[in-house]
Amino acid sequence: MAQQQDDRYTFDDLPLNPVESGTSLLVTGPGLSGAREMGLRLLCSPDTNGGTVLVATDSDATTMLKDFERHGGALDRERVRVIDCAQESGDLSEDNVSTVNTPADLTGIGIEYSGQYESTYASGYTRVRTGIITLTPLLVYSDDVRAVYRFLNTITGRIGTADGLGICVLDPNAHEEQVVESVARFFDGRVDIRADQGDLDLRVAGLQNQPTNWTPVGT
Amino acid sequence: MSDSPTVLCVQPDADERAETADALADAGLAVEGVGSLDTLTAALDRSVDCVVTAFDLPDGDGFDVVDAVRAVNPACVVTLYTEHAPSDLPRGGPEQVVEYVPRTVPESRERLADVAAMAAAEVTQAAYPVPETETERLAAVQQYDVDQLAAIDAFDRLTALMASHFDIDVAFVGLMDEHEERFVACEGANWRTLAREDTICTHTILSDETMVVEDTHEDPRFAEVDALKQLNIRSYAGVRITDREGNAIGAVCCTDGEPRRYTQTERDDLQRFADEVEDQLLLRRRLQGDR
Repeated sequence: MAQQQDDRYTFDDLPLNPVESGTSLLVTGPGLSGAREMGLRLLCSPDTNGGTVLVATDSDATTMLKDFERHGGALDRERVRVIDCAQESGDLSEDNVSTVNTPADLTGIGIEYSGQYESTYASGYTRVRTGIITLTPLLVYSDDVRAVYRFLNTITGRIGTADGLGICVLDPNAHEEQVVESVARFFDGRVDIRADQGDLDLRVAGLQNQPTNWTPVGT
Repeated sequence: MSDSPTVLCVQPDADERAETADALADAGLAVEGVGSLDTLTAALDRSVDCVVTAFDLPDGDGFDVVDAVRAVNPACVVTLYTEHAPSDLPRGGPEQVVEYVPRTVPESRERLADVAAMAAAEVTQAAYPVPETETERLAAVQQYDVDQLAAIDAFDRLTALMASHFDIDVAFVGLMDEHEERFVACEGANWRTLAREDTICTHTILSDETMVVEDTHEDPRFAEVDALKQLNIRSYAGVRITDREGNAIGAVCCTDGEPRRYTQTERDDLQRFADEVEDQLLLRRRLQGDR
């Protein structure tokens, strides 16, 4: 039992209980700023052997890393790696940043993700939190949603088998309801975010022992 | 026949292939090694759980391997194992998403074996959402002999009645196996099987609610599915069918070549047809058990 407790992922300063290793969460919110902030906060790792791999689709790597640091992430280049597919000009030529030319290149993103994951793992950071910030461009740029389904099966499969943690942010207002529902099926749970006069609330569906009613997030 | 997950290892150099195969076998996998795209194609079948491949082959590359695997086994995990950095690889198509383990990481063969063993046992690269209880669901589907069921008039009578009742082009009963939907009865068309990733029913089996697609051209999940266009499926309504243990084994469905809405009364009627099919399937299972 103690071992199981140790393996779970924890979230400092958030009203969430720890989740089992291998869990993937979909974070959704109508005001994307709130859901995006929550996604980044969930990716901050208090573990000494914790790493983070970010797939940045809505802003370049420099902006993404700044945002990550602003929300509590530690910018250690061995521990934090980025796949930048935002098509913006900010070129950050570091080993811990990979660039993919377009969010439509799901195969390229998947391979770069696995490569950065392996580098993180090889550096000794074996508890890897993966963030896709956000999924919306991947869906918008893909002609056939089935390619995104295959991508999600591959990514969540790796997260599940490697005992990682997956956080994927989606703006539900940017997509048809059926698409959001079908995408949610690839995840173990869903964290809904709403902004109430600047303050964030969250609620969780699909996981046990988590707040199912709207709960203030705090700062 | 081994119960271990099966992996095909594609590497042109025989010595390297043997070393990789040893590492994979040490991880508990049943391994078959091949040296080229051509020999891979001959060795591929649906029992393969994972394919591990070098990128450079004498008669193709890693993406050709992905295409060959997906043509036979669309959900099979493919893992590139190569010294090429991701940025040195050519751009693949959006349907060629793969796993990747670089040969440049320390003890890469052992790392590959870990990734492949876990992927072969637990991961799918299917282009559709898979039910949480897929393993149990597939075991339940395998209890039914579709060819035997297709010979039973009761299902033909039900689908004929459905087509007439709803005034639609096609009514069918389908069972969803690992890779394709197999039709037990089909009124209005001569469909035998349909690749699972092309079906609407693979979404229908995920929920106990009636699945209605009023216009496939307007639904982003299905607008780009060529098979639906070829089969003239413009609208769809389906209800999943479950066995006594609650496993979703298939669906009872209506399709039409025109966009169409379904009233609540029609949805209720479709549910009743599905209930009747479930009862018939249960009866057949009991009769099978009595023999």
